[in-house]
Amino acid sequence: MTNQLNQLLKVAASLTGVVVVWWAVAISGLINPLLFPTPYTVLIAAKELYEDGILISDLGISLARASIGFVIGAILGISVGILTARTRFFAIALGPFLNLLRPIPAIALVPIAIVWFGIGEGSKYFVIAYTVFLAVWLNTHHGTAHVAQTYIRAARSLGASRLREFFEVIIPAAAPHIVVGLRLGAALAFLSLVAAELSGASAGIGFRLQDARDYIRTDRMFVGLIELGILGALLDQFFVYVGNKLVHWEQL
Amino acid sequence: MDNRTDSAAPSGRVDIENLAISFELPGGDTLEAVSDVDIVLEAGSFTALIGPSGCGKSTILNAVAGFVPISGGQIKIDNEPVSGINPEVGVVFQQYALFPWFTAIGNVEFALKRLQLPRAERRERALAALREVGLEDRASTYPGQLSGGMKQRVALARTFASEPKVLLMDEPFGALDAQTRIAMHELLLGVWDLHRTTVLFVTHDVDEALLLSDRAHIMSTGPGRIIESLEVTSSRPRKVDEMTEEFLTNRNKIMKLLRHHTVAES
Repeated sequence: MTNQLNQLLKVAASLTGVVVVWWAVAISGLINPLLFPTPYTVLIAAKELYEDGILISDLGISLARASIGFVIGAILGISVGILTARTRFFAIALGPFLNLLRPIPAIALVPIAIVWFGIGEGSKYFVIAYTVFLAVWLNTHHGTAHVAQTYIRAARSLGASRLREFFEVIIPAAAPHIVVGLRLGAALAFLSLVAAELSGASAGIGFRLQDARDYIRTDRMFVGLIELGILGALLDQFFVYVGNKLVHWEQL
Repeated sequence: MDNRTDSAAPSGRVDIENLAISFELPGGDTLEAVSDVDIVLEAGSFTALIGPSGCGKSTILNAVAGFVPISGGQIKIDNEPVSGINPEVGVVFQQYALFPWFTAIGNVEFALKRLQLPRAERRERALAALREVGLEDRASTYPGQLSGGMKQRVALARTFASEPKVLLMDEPFGALDAQTRIAMHELLLGVWDLHRTTVLFVTHDVDEALLLSDRAHIMSTGPGRIIESLEVTSSRPRKVDEMTEEFLTNRNKIMKLLRHHTVAES
């Protein structure tokens, strides 16, 4: 408990330091305040957005998009990862293709996603799911393909059927890797969320950033950036917490 | 205790005849790991396989377990040729191979599931198996929280619980310290006495082999083959601090053989 408190204090100290430096730079007069707002103006902008109801609705819309995209990508990533790791057919049929997809960034898919799925929610889900899928697939594949040989030998010589071997040995053995993939996928969901919202959206954190640019509202941009940072960090902590419960025998 | 004729369980005899095992090397060449090996494991006997690392002793064990294919000769268990991994053959690994996601009792129950017992009976039998190795009170502990010796005791309980006819042990105590090892020897003999499974015990520790086995085969490298076989007739329990004449004679003989062969090949 004291350890956690200690950790919390360190985080608070670090963030306070950053805000102090930020404030000092902003009021020093070195930079045009229109381009570089003070923490106070950002706070006011946040309050304004909150009172208009935009802050919460943007948050809700972006979170919903990220979550739906994440769930689709994660389910597909885990399923395909298991298939390419455990069956020769899928390893040969899909492995090279998926490795070719990996260097393609989500943002490069936005134009084609809009053509295919329109500017509605479909294209956002597609772009987010794509990014999440690749991260989850890669980690699931790796974890499932490299289960320690002694586990398999032990399971078989203890008379486990192939079905039991799969559910009671291969899946738990791969679970730490799958959880790492999901954690990475969650972080990437936010990256691609912004990419997806930068064009063809009418609400959401990414849209608000773009919208603020048209009015040179750097204070609002800062609000959006801080939102993304906090949301991402909280989500990551959530995944570490749940992950450690889920794969308690291995520290993430 | 030894030389007992166990008429109740005459099964578990292993015949290894003219065995050869070779591996394909990355370059396309083949490496002959083991050749011309003949071993008979009488039902209910305890046989040790001694030799330096790389002599193929683990390879023989892996072949009996059905983990690796053989390239010549044959291995028969109760006159049935080995054709793959078989639950009648239990294996205890040097690195325990416990499943860290199951508790101690969960690991033992894993082995019992193939018997398709009712849940309560399965649990009772798993608990009894842990009792045999003195770990009943650690039933719901995960392997990560157990010491090396305790892990190997759970692994022993897991393997004995599924009542294999043949038990293969691949340097099972190699990762343990000397004191724990002595305790494990006594524990193993105690549990083995209850089950009387045929044991093949692979080790590079000559004392360990002579303390535990009825029969010891000494191996040499290049390719792996048996260079000497001897009987150990003195009664158990045998102790390292009370060595008998036979123990010392055997020990000296094996040490000379191992030294001679290692020197000749290095």
